[in-house]
Amino acid sequence: MNKLKKELKSSFKGIRTGILEDNRLAVSAPKDAVLPILSFLKNKGYEHLSLISCVDWIEEKELELVYVITSYLQKNDEYADNERLHILLKTRISRENPEFKTLVPIFKNAEPYERELHELFGINFEGNKRLTPLLLERAYKIPPFRKDFNTREYVKEKFDKISFVEEKKNERA
Amino acid sequence: MKEKSKVNGKPSLLGPFKAIKYLFKKPVTLRYPFELKEPSLRCRGFHLNDWDKCTGCGNCADICPNEAVTMVEIPEIEAKPGEKNERPQIDYGRCCFCGLCVDICPPGSLRLSRDYFHIHFKTSTFNLLAKDEKIDKEHFLPADKYSVFKASLAHRKKDNEGFSSELKYSLFEPKRVSMPQVKPEERKLSFVEQVLGYSKEEAKQEASRCLECKLCEDACPAHLKISDYVRAIYEDKPDESLRKIFEDNPIPAICGRICMAHCEDACSLGKRGEPVAVRWLKRYASDMIEDYKKTLRLKPAKSIDKKVAVIGAGPGGLSVAYFLRLKGYTVTVFDSLPGGGGMMRIGPPPYRLPIESIDKDVSHIASLGVKFRFNTTVGKDILFEDIYKNYDAIHLGIGMTVSHSTRVKNSEKAYLALQFLQENKIGKKVKVGKEIIVIGGGNVAIDVAREALRLQHIQYPEEKVITKTVSLEDWDIMPATKEEIEDAKAEGIQFNPGWGPKEIKIEDSKVKGLLCIKVKSVFDEQRRFRPTFYEEKEMFLKGDMVIEAIGQGPNFSFIPKELFKKLEFTPRRKIKVTEFGQTSIPKVFAGGDIVNLNLDAITAIADAKRAAEGIDLYLKGN
Amino acid sequence: MRELELYFGPQHLGMVGNFSITLKVEGDQILEAHANPGWLHRGFEKLMEYRTWIQNFPLVCRINVIEPDSMEMVYAMAVEKLAKIEVPERANYIRAIVLELSRLASHLFGCWAYANMLGFDTVAQWAMYHRDLILDLFEQLTGARVYHIYICPGGVRRDLPEGFKEKALNTLHTIGGCIPDYDATFFNNRLFYERAKGIGKITREEAKELGVTGQILRATGINFDIRKVEPYAVYDKVDFEIPTREDGDAYSRVWIIRDEMIQSVHTIMQCLEKIPEGEVYKRVPNPFKWNIPKGETYVRVESSRGELGLYMVSNGKDKPYRVHFRTPSYPHGLLVLEKLLKNASIADVGNIMISLYVTAPEIDR
Repeated sequence: MNKLKKELKSSFKGIRTGILEDNRLAVSAPKDAVLPILSFLKNKGYEHLSLISCVDWIEEKELELVYVITSYLQKNDEYADNERLHILLKTRISRENPEFKTLVPIFKNAEPYERELHELFGINFEGNKRLTPLLLERAYKIPPFRKDFNTREYVKEKFDKISFVEEKKNERA
Repeated sequence: MKEKSKVNGKPSLLGPFKAIKYLFKKPVTLRYPFELKEPSLRCRGFHLNDWDKCTGCGNCADICPNEAVTMVEIPEIEAKPGEKNERPQIDYGRCCFCGLCVDICPPGSLRLSRDYFHIHFKTSTFNLLAKDEKIDKEHFLPADKYSVFKASLAHRKKDNEGFSSELKYSLFEPKRVSMPQVKPEERKLSFVEQVLGYSKEEAKQEASRCLECKLCEDACPAHLKISDYVRAIYEDKPDESLRKIFEDNPIPAICGRICMAHCEDACSLGKRGEPVAVRWLKRYASDMIEDYKKTLRLKPAKSIDKKVAVIGAGPGGLSVAYFLRLKGYTVTVFDSLPGGGGMMRIGPPPYRLPIESIDKDVSHIASLGVKFRFNTTVGKDILFEDIYKNYDAIHLGIGMTVSHSTRVKNSEKAYLALQFLQENKIGKKVKVGKEIIVIGGGNVAIDVAREALRLQHIQYPEEKVITKTVSLEDWDIMPATKEEIEDAKAEGIQFNPGWGPKEIKIEDSKVKGLLCIKVKSVFDEQRRFRPTFYEEKEMFLKGDMVIEAIGQGPNFSFIPKELFKKLEFTPRRKIKVTEFGQTSIPKVFAGGDIVNLNLDAITAIADAKRAAEGIDLYLKGN
Repeated sequence: MRELELYFGPQHLGMVGNFSITLKVEGDQILEAHANPGWLHRGFEKLMEYRTWIQNFPLVCRINVIEPDSMEMVYAMAVEKLAKIEVPERANYIRAIVLELSRLASHLFGCWAYANMLGFDTVAQWAMYHRDLILDLFEQLTGARVYHIYICPGGVRRDLPEGFKEKALNTLHTIGGCIPDYDATFFNNRLFYERAKGIGKITREEAKELGVTGQILRATGINFDIRKVEPYAVYDKVDFEIPTREDGDAYSRVWIIRDEMIQSVHTIMQCLEKIPEGEVYKRVPNPFKWNIPKGETYVRVESSRGELGLYMVSNGKDKPYRVHFRTPSYPHGLLVLEKLLKNASIADVGNIMISLYVTAPEIDR
């Protein structure tokens, strides 16, 4: 793990690395470095993109994109001392203007994840040609997975207006 | 092991005909509803609730992830300390049968049954007030009357319990964090404080056990915001915790040590486990803060030009002074003792309540601007008439300061409890005998006995010494708390419950022992104290010193006759007061042991809080 | 020929679950397919942000109806990682038993779905019956048949009931004993062979590129199973094999499912044999006062469909700050399905979809 850490640090500027535990490596990188790091890692054998997630840090007015990458191999020869390594690559983007570049050219399976994040967090992935609705059926004022979208208030607002249907009086006992 | 399958070459076309043999086998399906499968013993079906065990604590409603449980008030149930008159109602439109409510239920009353049928056209029938066959005979039927065709929430099988609560898997922690204590063999040799107090980690862990059902707050006479201050300790904010305590109780260092802890009796965790150690947590909060004044920064309100006299600096007097001072009144406290605390100063032996802890609380109240006049006996050093004339209101918190005597033969040779305790704590130590008999079964008697034991060990090191107690009450009705009895036993004090004193035997004007007779009953049918004895069953206890600790009474001799005549009393010989502590003499308010029947510090504080309100209203002219 | 747009599902006989595909067809050849999930989107990840750590635990199993236990497992693992809770050894064995039983139940359900889809109704009924036997075991162990709510942070909720071992062994022998019949009527059936061979073929490189895991990946020859790669529960202490195949088509995928069932039976028997005495639950803190320290984690287990991951963030409060499930059907049901349907025939839509073992609720969450 340390070898990879050193290599990452020497190749890319401005990144911070930390070890979570159990061979989980967390890397925080500036926006511009994310795609180069991902393709660098892919060439190193970390070719399985498990997940792209997003965390809304509302107090810091930032969205954090999280890429979870690991290897398909049980043992990665180059880093044999740390097989089964998960890498959590994180970057922060502005909440006001959530723009980022797409990952599809490097990892094809990034497409649905980016679609989902576009829909649920309102992030625009530049270059992804298919940012169409995925899970939701209607448009929301605030992307619904952001922290300022309060589901309880939304439900109240949306459904409390619907009047209660009285049970029929002559129903069977 | 690996089964080799036919990957190369095409599989056979005839193989499937092997299935034909199943035509000649019995079907595996059940002919429902004529054949039924019994649900498993852990089946999570509809709820059952034992109303006798249920405390109405509402933890089930709090934990329910779907908000399916609501607490409904039941008028037929009487709310009492440790039990609310609420019972859970479950909305089966929301319930997901996860059973978290069962695993959080502290008394274990809520269970899930093995019924799961309910079909009805009315949605209202899906709301069920959970009961069990104990109180709902109508809807729970024995197996022979039960029919699966009628099964519903109103037609259920009796004794059909499924998923039930097991303490091993409960979501709450039934065991309390043990309090570090000095060992009995060691502590009986000196007056070192027995309880060492929680460390930060221990306190946080103990505080984390609280489920915040607030049964304790209803049970506490002074209604302290217990769950709030316990939570503050859990969040590692002792200062905030103390601030919460000070809203209702200005003497946490004292109460944190000697409070009768009605809260712990009510605690829902105590139903099957050990209650949260509320008292020790309060003590922790007060011990954590070196200087109350610096931390709390309490400031009296704008001065009001009225003077209040508080007679007696016990827990009640101190609290009245504190609450009135915060409202801006000028308060003077009179007490005959050399320091504050009243009975707390002389009663609880130093191993339970050191003088420093009392002074910590008292000096904080003094620092707020309350004037204390210690060593001032009202009626001797200052006349009650003068106080009555010079002050705008008077609060009596004089407590019970006169020890009762058994008045058996030669009882004048015996020591009285308060006299004994006072001399030991703030005077010079009493010279004790080698074999001491303490008469009484209350907490005071045990205090006396344990203190006597320590004095024996100090005065006769390396010698054989014995302390024993004699009490009318047998083990089951002994008024002393269990904890105290256990501690006393551990130190080697001998108990003789169920015996009454008859005579103190004297030889050469020296005490030789106590003659006892067997008790037949202590209370009469009306639960009044009226002991009867088997005169013929006698027992002689050897001893060279007898201490009587059978109760105390008040001393009103300082009040002039014409005023005393106006003072009204209740049938149980307590001063009659309004809900604001006002006596029949408008200017005079009273609280504490002379008013209530609980005879403890926290009730005195509760009285004091009401009296402070009353005095405030009275002086403002309402 | 004319190009048509065909809506396949969610109300369609050939569709299992709440899922739909929009097909662009010419004749019976599919030109383009668009997977259209979201019919079952309940926003679990958002809901969980409103509930305490313990309140979430009855919720997670509902994400996947067919195999709820691995959902519970992955949630419990994430919470235990963040809160640094050690699980008793016996609990780990019970967890492995439950997970393998649920893998077995899920695979049998998968067999039902596939057999039913292709018209092998006899086999479908058998599979459903055998799944029910496993549900009986679950009922005895956990108190519920489908949503077990059993694997909780700190261990499992109750110990094995009396007589469980015997009953479990009995059931496993019954199921294991029927495998030859299954083989004869289904797996080694010539009709099935003709129907599944060469259908929905995916190469190793394509699979890697699309983030495929589970049987679909193993059917292309990659020996990748999280139980081996990153053992959890007691998978490093029991002996089992990971079946792989080379062809990457529907037929080899189904055969992997079959081989995995046999492996599961053996794993459960080993666990029942080796299970030590002891506690099964380490009490978690008071649910009303349980704050988990700040942190983040990504854990994964091998569900019956592939890699099931959970990314969880705690900000030190009593509720999770963010949870995100990485469900195996997510890449399978969207990209892989779209890719495999291209140029397939309409008759093979259901065939391909079920051979990918897609469960819609997992995609939608």
